[in-house]
Amino acid sequence: MNVAIDDVVLPGDHCEEIATAGEKSKVILGPGLRKEIDGVFITKAGVLRKRAPNTFWVDSYQKRYVPARGENVIGIVTQKAGDIFRVEVGGSCSASLSYLSFEGATKKNRPSVKIGDVIYAKMLNASKDMEPELVCVDSHGKKGRLGVLEDGFVFKCSLNLIRKILNPNCPLLGSLKNEWPFELAAGMNGRIWIKAKTMRETVAVGNAILGSEYLSNEEIKSMCTNIASILAGHIS
Amino acid sequence: MANITTKKPQLPKSVLDMKFMKKTKERIERELENTHDHGNLYSNIITNEMRSASGNYISESSFLYCEDLIEGRLSFKGMNPDIEKLMVLETQAEQPNSEMQKDVSDEILAKKFKAFNKRKRPMETPSKYSFIKKRK
Repeated sequence: MNVAIDDVVLPGDHCEEIATAGEKSKVILGPGLRKEIDGVFITKAGVLRKRAPNTFWVDSYQKRYVPARGENVIGIVTQKAGDIFRVEVGGSCSASLSYLSFEGATKKNRPSVKIGDVIYAKMLNASKDMEPELVCVDSHGKKGRLGVLEDGFVFKCSLNLIRKILNPNCPLLGSLKNEWPFELAAGMNGRIWIKAKTMRETVAVGNAILGSEYLSNEEIKSMCTNIASILAGHIS
Repeated sequence: MANITTKKPQLPKSVLDMKFMKKTKERIERELENTHDHGNLYSNIITNEMRSASGNYISESSFLYCEDLIEGRLSFKGMNPDIEKLMVLETQAEQPNSEMQKDVSDEILAKKFKAFNKRKRPMETPSKYSFIKKRK
């Protein structure tokens, strides 16, 4: 069936609009779209989205992470195997992380990463046929925001929720950031790591994030003020 | 294969028949001969998709570049000063033309520079003599 932008789409549907756009100019096909000989086809169930000028993707509900190049993920070190660490990221197979891809690491100066550590790393390489590769440094060799996440609390959620809270239009982080000190790392693989000063505050951040999955922007704002007032002790 | 060769820009026959184009003509003939059987030779490798592929489609497996997502590592109210420093730097980099701190205002600078230029070069346009001198 031919579909238009912002329609609910199913695998096998095709979109004439993308094909005509592709004849004239460059088109970026995001997740859920596939170019075949005779047109552009949908491969996931969801809502077809477009961003100007020519980016198309299917916004689908998903919990299984499929590694993609350039994404920041939260992983758990499961094994030390010679030069590499095996990191579990929730994909079909575990990812590898070289001990040299940490800031300031050399062959003699190994980073202090233990089995069971939670790390925030970037997908350097992700293809269908090979195991994904992670790094904890940027192209300048600086650690930036990546590295081992100490203390804190990790929980899982759907991949959509991650995209929702990281969207610049989402009011969740905006309404929480002035309430109490906390730290957050959101991995595109559906894992969130949070850290706050007390356990009550950590639980409050976690509940606010998980609660916002099916709420509208207005509802998120009121939920955040509600949580903040409970935490401040105004309401018991 | 045939339609690919026809798509290539070709020299007209009349030009190729000219005397000085002899070498080029030979080269083109050789090329044609070399690529003649390629269609059959690689027919099992070259798919229809490859033949009709256009470079206009870029596949992107990540949502990161489709939706305009912010960085996923954040810290608020001084929980992690290192991360907050990076966040501040990033917001500054996003708005490079938001008022840079100026020690000297534009007007004063323009006035001073005018005076400075006058002092250095008394004449607005180079005189005839200086022009001749330069030539020598």
